[in-house]
Amino acid sequence: MTWLTEWAAYLPQMMSGLGVSLLIAGVSIVAGYPLGLVLSVMVSARNLALRTLALAVVEIGRGAPALVILYLFYYGLPKFGIAFESITAACLALIWNSAAYSSEIMRAGIQSVGRGQLEASSALGLAQRHTFWRVIMPQGMRSAIPGLMGVAIQMFQGTSLAYAIAVPELMKSAYNIGSQDFNYLQIFALAGLCYAAISMPATWITVFFEKRMARHA
Amino acid sequence: MTLSEIADGKLAPRTGIKLDNICKRYGDHTVLDDVSLHVEPGTVTALIGPSGAGKSTFLRCINLLERPDSGTIQVAGHTIEPGKVVNNKDLAALRSTVGMVFQSFNLFPHMSAMKNISFPQQKVLGRSREEADARSMELLERVGLKEKANQPPGRCSGGQQQRIAIARALALDPSIMLFDEPTSALDPEVGLEVLAVMRELAADGMTMIVVTHEMQFARDVSDTLVVMADCKIIEQGDPGAIMSDPQEARTRRFLRAVLER
Repeated sequence: MTWLTEWAAYLPQMMSGLGVSLLIAGVSIVAGYPLGLVLSVMVSARNLALRTLALAVVEIGRGAPALVILYLFYYGLPKFGIAFESITAACLALIWNSAAYSSEIMRAGIQSVGRGQLEASSALGLAQRHTFWRVIMPQGMRSAIPGLMGVAIQMFQGTSLAYAIAVPELMKSAYNIGSQDFNYLQIFALAGLCYAAISMPATWITVFFEKRMARHA
Repeated sequence: MTLSEIADGKLAPRTGIKLDNICKRYGDHTVLDDVSLHVEPGTVTALIGPSGAGKSTFLRCINLLERPDSGTIQVAGHTIEPGKVVNNKDLAALRSTVGMVFQSFNLFPHMSAMKNISFPQQKVLGRSREEADARSMELLERVGLKEKANQPPGRCSGGQQQRIAIARALALDPSIMLFDEPTSALDPEVGLEVLAVMRELAADGMTMIVVTHEMQFARDVSDTLVVMADCKIIEQGDPGAIMSDPQEARTRRFLRAVLER
């Protein structure tokens, strides 16, 4: 059997794994980014308690390897009587991860908005909330888009960690198939191709956006 | 209808402004040293002087973009002492009386020209969208940019952007307009479009304070010329008289440098 016919045979099972990976990545982005936005605002809050809390969440989320957080959720929390299904634990860990990373990108985006925009807004007499939500945020988020797309790709690749707690995602599917026939080389090459099939076009789109932004900056 | 009739909707009364004993320091560095200026309603004041003299800072103190350390500002029946607590009512009154135009335009790049002008009207004056858009269109037409209404600022030249910025400020019915080197970021030729709009505004009787290096404009349009140097006003009066016969050596030196370019 050539590799290609083997791949064709494995593909249906791989696709279900890929589906799970995409689901986890999707959840971590859809839930993580809004949370990241909240954190990005909180880290510059005037209230010290809010600021400290946000900073702790962000720094742990960025500082600790995702796998550590994943294990804490899956193996650690049951000690306190909180048990999650493996896929839920994976989603929660990656949500934390994506919220932490995206919040830093959004914060940088917000800070990149020129001082002149703030001055014009105050000279016009706009209220702070209008200045923030209508003037600063749209511009800050715009410049954050390429970075956020980058984090999304990172999240998708990060779903492979869920293998470690037996979530039936792409890596787990590949491992299962491989352990039946010991065709590890072929199957992990196929897994790599599956990740690349998503990540590479996503990267191209990101680069396209980056260039577009640079042109319209 | 003239520009300022549109600008003030024939409602806003002509207003002057009195600034007394304005002082501003950054740490040990004095930027404004006891500066006083009284501007009569309907007059144009040109503020000139070497860079670092404090012209822009002074202008920015007028609408409290910079907070002076001491002094008083009297405008539209409000007396504001920026060195003390300024309540929101006084600040709002000040900002609604005084419009400002910046050297770098500071238009909102993510909004169309029209939205740039309409959005503050809706939020600050509570106008409906239709009302605001109608006013924006009137003003765009007056500054000659009706066809740019739906374009973002990025698609407009510098001169066009500055005219949109002027329209944006006028849309809030200010009785006083501050201009902070409005043509300094522009090609000389393009700057003329902006100066033309400002001349028309002045002719219509808008109270204006203009920081500028455009001597021709200062001579032709302003009623009062104010020369600042070293954090102080060193000379003020009739523009023609000061330019032809400056009393201060510092003014002479500055004028020679500017006029001989």
